[in-house]
Amino acid sequence: MNRATGTETTAEGSRPVDGFDLYFGPVHPGSGNFGVKLTVEGERVVAARADPGYLHRGFEKLMEYRTPMQNAVLSDRLCILESLNWNLVHAEAVDRLCGTEIPERAKTIRVIMAELSRIQSHIIWYGVLSKALGFDTGFKVAFGYRDYVLDLFEFVTGGRVYPAGYLCPGGVRRDFPDGAGKRIEELLAKMETMVREFEAYDSKTIAARCRGIGILALDDALRLGATGPVLRASGLAADVRRDAPYEIYDKLDFEVPTREEGDAFARSFIRRREIEESIKIVRQALRRLPSEALPPVKPKVAGRIPEGEVYVRNEIARGEAGVYMRSTGESQPYRCKIRGPDLLHMIPVLEHLLVGAEVADVPAIYWSLNICPADMDR
Amino acid sequence: MASAQSDTERQELLEALASRFGVEPRVAADGTVWVSVDRGRLSDLLTFTRSEGFDHCSAISVTDWPDEQVFELTYHLWSYGDKVLLTVKSRVERRQPTVDSAIPLWGPSAQIHERELHELFGVEFTGNPDLAPLFLESWDGPPPFRKDFDWRAYVREAFYEEGEPREQGYWD
Repeated sequence: MNRATGTETTAEGSRPVDGFDLYFGPVHPGSGNFGVKLTVEGERVVAARADPGYLHRGFEKLMEYRTPMQNAVLSDRLCILESLNWNLVHAEAVDRLCGTEIPERAKTIRVIMAELSRIQSHIIWYGVLSKALGFDTGFKVAFGYRDYVLDLFEFVTGGRVYPAGYLCPGGVRRDFPDGAGKRIEELLAKMETMVREFEAYDSKTIAARCRGIGILALDDALRLGATGPVLRASGLAADVRRDAPYEIYDKLDFEVPTREEGDAFARSFIRRREIEESIKIVRQALRRLPSEALPPVKPKVAGRIPEGEVYVRNEIARGEAGVYMRSTGESQPYRCKIRGPDLLHMIPVLEHLLVGAEVADVPAIYWSLNICPADMDR
Repeated sequence: MASAQSDTERQELLEALASRFGVEPRVAADGTVWVSVDRGRLSDLLTFTRSEGFDHCSAISVTDWPDEQVFELTYHLWSYGDKVLLTVKSRVERRQPTVDSAIPLWGPSAQIHERELHELFGVEFTGNPDLAPLFLESWDGPPPFRKDFDWRAYVREAFYEEGEPREQGYWD
């Protein structure tokens, strides 16, 4: 049998070997809480069918029974890997419905924390992709650096992975503690060292394994609904932070890196460049941080959300996040639709990229999409 | 928040929508455009928005209004070129919720949103070839995100025992 073409040669000539089904996932270390059923012929994937649902918790429905402050805590769990970014989308939806003016200092803190969360999420992306490639050093280096960011999250929010709704409706749950600015500066210096390390790995190990696989053409990316780094790696410079700025992004100077190739390595490149841009953003935001202290946001237990509807979009680490919130004037939202980037990346985009790939490339393609089953299932 | 370019584009869009479809689009305080349209003209209007450069179907959603016996569909559309966010709303009969699929306009990105809404709300999208359940396994109850599905009662019946002292809290 010819393993590359999936054919075997018989007396009558060459014919395909019958395909069989191969499950990728849902065993957690390999795939996250998610599976793809691959139909393979020889070494080649001829069909892929995503199998979501392992993390479906029904957040949209749960939020209809809870007040915004309770929902702020729930919004942590929308994506474990970047909870602060999800905090922010939810908080903005409530703020716009209520017409709340957010103090400049709170807006700046929101941006700082959201960008640190993006860096942290990209570090995980780096780690899990390395792990998928069998490059254990990259995985350990990345997760080692991630802990520095988590230390800072713990210092500021009280939680390492889940900030308990730190970016909440009305601003932030509490002001930066004393010395936060200095600690963030120190953290950014570490992140810069890390980026240089990543660059060295990228140019050898990651490039050798990721170049030319999982190529997503730009028209396919648009058709399949790709957003964020995946779309930018295919050549479109779209970024909600720049195209429809929220918080203080319109006052900050940053680039939207793009690549034309659309392969797994291009997505790797975008990831590293975005960490650099986020470091730039946090530095600028720190310089702009107004000095007056922030009054703590007291949860309005009996507060009602004014009647209305909004659709809020944010650029989170994985792409475009959206919240459609409809209120009828009760203390709970009447409907809260959550749009995550990964419903698109993990079903249409992934199925498209896997067809025709070699089985050995499946983990690299899979993790190059920066997937998160939690925000896909919600 | 919005650039001068998107202001002009937004104004042109408002005028085009109003004159072609007799609808009354409005611009919200955050610069997003909202328009409601009758179910009969929904497909035409969506086709028009697609031709006007709304190339990204950000999300499709359903809001359930059992008292009025309608489902409200919302299409959240973004134009990468003009940088305008548009929401198209339309109401369908709750007893027979059928709409044309948006796959011809936005392809697989619309397909997956419709597939989710079919599972969670029971809306039929004519022309969508794959409406298989995404999340729930062996579920034969009503679509669970509908307002009249009492999930608390369901969870209590399915997972907790009334006589069990440690689970009394769920029955009080």
